[in-house]
Amino acid sequence: MSKEKFQSLSFKIMISIIITFFIIMTGIFLSLKKINKEAFYNIELQKAQLIVKTIEPLIAINIYLGLEGKLHSLLDQVMQNKDILGVKITQNGNTLYEVDFDKKDEILFVLKKDILQPGSQKKMATIELQYANHNYMQLLNNYNKLLIAMLVVLGIIFVMLSLYIERMLKPLREVTRLLQDFSPQKKLDIKPMGQKNEISLILSALGEMQEKVFEFANQQKNLNEFLEEQVNEKTQELRRQLYIDDLTKLPNRKKLFDDIQNSKDDGALLILNIDDFKEINDFYGQSAGDYILIEFAKKLNHLIEEEKNISLSRLSGDEFALLFKSKPSYRTFMRVVNDLTRKIEKTVFEYDQSEIFIRVTFGGTMESNEMLEKADIALKLAKEQKKYFLMYDEKLDIKGAYRENMEWVKKLKSAIKEDRIVPFFQPIFDTHTSKAVSYECLIRLIDTDGSVVSPFKFLNIALKSKIYPQLTRIMIEKSCQYFQNRDTTFSINLSINDIIDKEMVLFIQKSINKYGVSKKMVFEILETEGIDNYEEVSSFIMSMKQIGCKTSIDDFGSGYSNYEHILKLDVDYIKIDGSLIKNIDKDENVQIIVETIVSFAKKLNLMTVAEFVYNQTVFEKVKSLNIDRMQGFYLAEPEREIQED
Amino acid sequence: MIRVLFFSLLLFESLFGYSYDDLLLRAQSAIYPKIVVLDKKVSSKLVDDKILFTVVYCKEDHESALFVKQYIQNKYKDGVGKYPISVDLVEFSQLSKETGASALYVLYGSKNDIKKAAEIARQKRVISFSYNLENLKYGLLFAAVIEKTTTLYLNKEYKNIKSIELADFLLQSVKFIDKSAF
Repeated sequence: MSKEKFQSLSFKIMISIIITFFIIMTGIFLSLKKINKEAFYNIELQKAQLIVKTIEPLIAINIYLGLEGKLHSLLDQVMQNKDILGVKITQNGNTLYEVDFDKKDEILFVLKKDILQPGSQKKMATIELQYANHNYMQLLNNYNKLLIAMLVVLGIIFVMLSLYIERMLKPLREVTRLLQDFSPQKKLDIKPMGQKNEISLILSALGEMQEKVFEFANQQKNLNEFLEEQVNEKTQELRRQLYIDDLTKLPNRKKLFDDIQNSKDDGALLILNIDDFKEINDFYGQSAGDYILIEFAKKLNHLIEEEKNISLSRLSGDEFALLFKSKPSYRTFMRVVNDLTRKIEKTVFEYDQSEIFIRVTFGGTMESNEMLEKADIALKLAKEQKKYFLMYDEKLDIKGAYRENMEWVKKLKSAIKEDRIVPFFQPIFDTHTSKAVSYECLIRLIDTDGSVVSPFKFLNIALKSKIYPQLTRIMIEKSCQYFQNRDTTFSINLSINDIIDKEMVLFIQKSINKYGVSKKMVFEILETEGIDNYEEVSSFIMSMKQIGCKTSIDDFGSGYSNYEHILKLDVDYIKIDGSLIKNIDKDENVQIIVETIVSFAKKLNLMTVAEFVYNQTVFEKVKSLNIDRMQGFYLAEPEREIQED
Repeated sequence: MIRVLFFSLLLFESLFGYSYDDLLLRAQSAIYPKIVVLDKKVSSKLVDDKILFTVVYCKEDHESALFVKQYIQNKYKDGVGKYPISVDLVEFSQLSKETGASALYVLYGSKNDIKKAAEIARQKRVISFSYNLENLKYGLLFAAVIEKTTTLYLNKEYKNIKSIELADFLLQSVKFIDKSAF
């Protein structure tokens, strides 16, 4: 039998009826049996009592009158009754009469009664009557047969009732079976019942419900078809919008990605960028820019009209891509580049009575893997190198450099997060006393293996990736904290960008105030970068001077060495560039430059510092040139902790 | 010859009294007082708060009557049931309505004597016992006879006597006898 059958309502009702039947019948059977057993026993007891009650006066009178013979005769008569198995009359311990029955299992009970003297309550004798169980057993047997017959009849009635219920519920089962195949599109054949009962009402309601569902499903189907159509249209529209550039109506960047993905490692890519398009936008306005882009797109489309192997798309703003669906020959590739360059340069775009000429730069790759990245790299490199076209070449190792840069950015971020950017301190010695009078705080990165990484490996990357300000903040915070309780001056390098960053300046001021190091602090401003924002730098130096800080021009003499800087900025120290110092013992010209710087500084009462003192000869030379202070590996290397005397 | 013999016997009887069966006499002496108390109206028949068991006899049977008296007195010296009992001996000639009695025990006597005793018993509304079964036909009520067993006979006339009300079980135990049976 299936699990469903067990769970069906009719089965449960039937089982309930059967269980109820058995419980009730067992109860009735046991109760009746017990009651009737007692009743039958009582009947027999009453019969025996009646016999005893009947014969007792006769026995009594016979005993009373001493009529023993009569007594025997009477009791013999009593013994004629087959229900009486034995009688015993005892008087004062003497047995007057006794008939004992040896088959004890046939005795139902022994009735014992006192025989009273006639006319008084005085006990005269005792009668014991052994009563047979024949009638009792007969009654019980008859009763059991009757009861079993009754139970059988009742059982049959219950079975018939169960079958009747089963039959009544049959339509429900059939409907359930039908409903299992129900679907809004398929009408079920629910036959109405002849009888008017709850089930027929349910069937009728189901029929009506089915009609409504069917009708609703039809409506829904129509609606769905309509919506599906709408969705398809919208999808087409969205797909179009997704792949088409709104402005130029060319395929967009996403379309190019998809095409590249579907190119199965075949083809070549050429990216071109309109040179100085920003200036067109700025000069002629946004509308002119958009107009140029639209017209340029049209022009490009026209120029490659005959090139069936090429598809044109707009990558972004002023960048367009030409995807070769199959790899062309180098010659073909270069022909396309040169033709386009020439024709675009000859093209004049007219806008608002102005003639606008444009030039483009190409970056290309004939390698079919990662072509977008490679073409982009080539384009950027071409721009940097001011070339109209550059083909991507693995030998350029541009990708390697990019990868390394990215790794360094990751390393830097990780070091910042894990607090592995630390200041190292290199002592600056007084040339005359040879004592450390100040310390330059130099940035170091502690690698995950504990090794110390010099800044030349990551400082440029930090500048490009805009991490540099974070490094400056760390250096300021940690250096100020380190020298908070040390009685010596210390210098920190600041870039021009740091100085013109108002938030950075605010941070510097707060740090100085926080650690109370204004009298000890020296800012080394890098001169190599060229100082264009004099006013901002001067304002910074002034404000720092007001709180007691000093400033120094770092790497003086390396690049844009400008004595005017020194005059305008009112600095306290001049640090002569290491590239000069390291050659001071070999190159006479260098010596002259250094002497000039020192002489100039002396006139302005500025202190001079020589860096990169790396050997005895340089040391001696620096001393001889009367430079006030010096630092370098010959004297002391930068250390994590300063050596305090 | 036969007539002579018959008369001789009658003469002998009159001279030396009737012969009594000792066993029967004892049995009756034992049973009859007990039957007296089985009369539901016995309390109204007491004489000086006693059961007066009056033995009526022929002059010649004095010894037998005395035997009965002694036997009863001995057997029931503590009374019968809750009643004390005394035994009087009265000859037929002395018997009258005034004779005190709670019950009469009538020994052998002439037909007339028996009838007289029965009549007086009826008048006095007391139970009358007979030594001889046959005397019941003259109106005496009870007679105990030793047959296979001791059997009590009750005169069917009893049903007409309202003044005596015997216990039911006694009635179940007795044999009723009618005049016609003799």
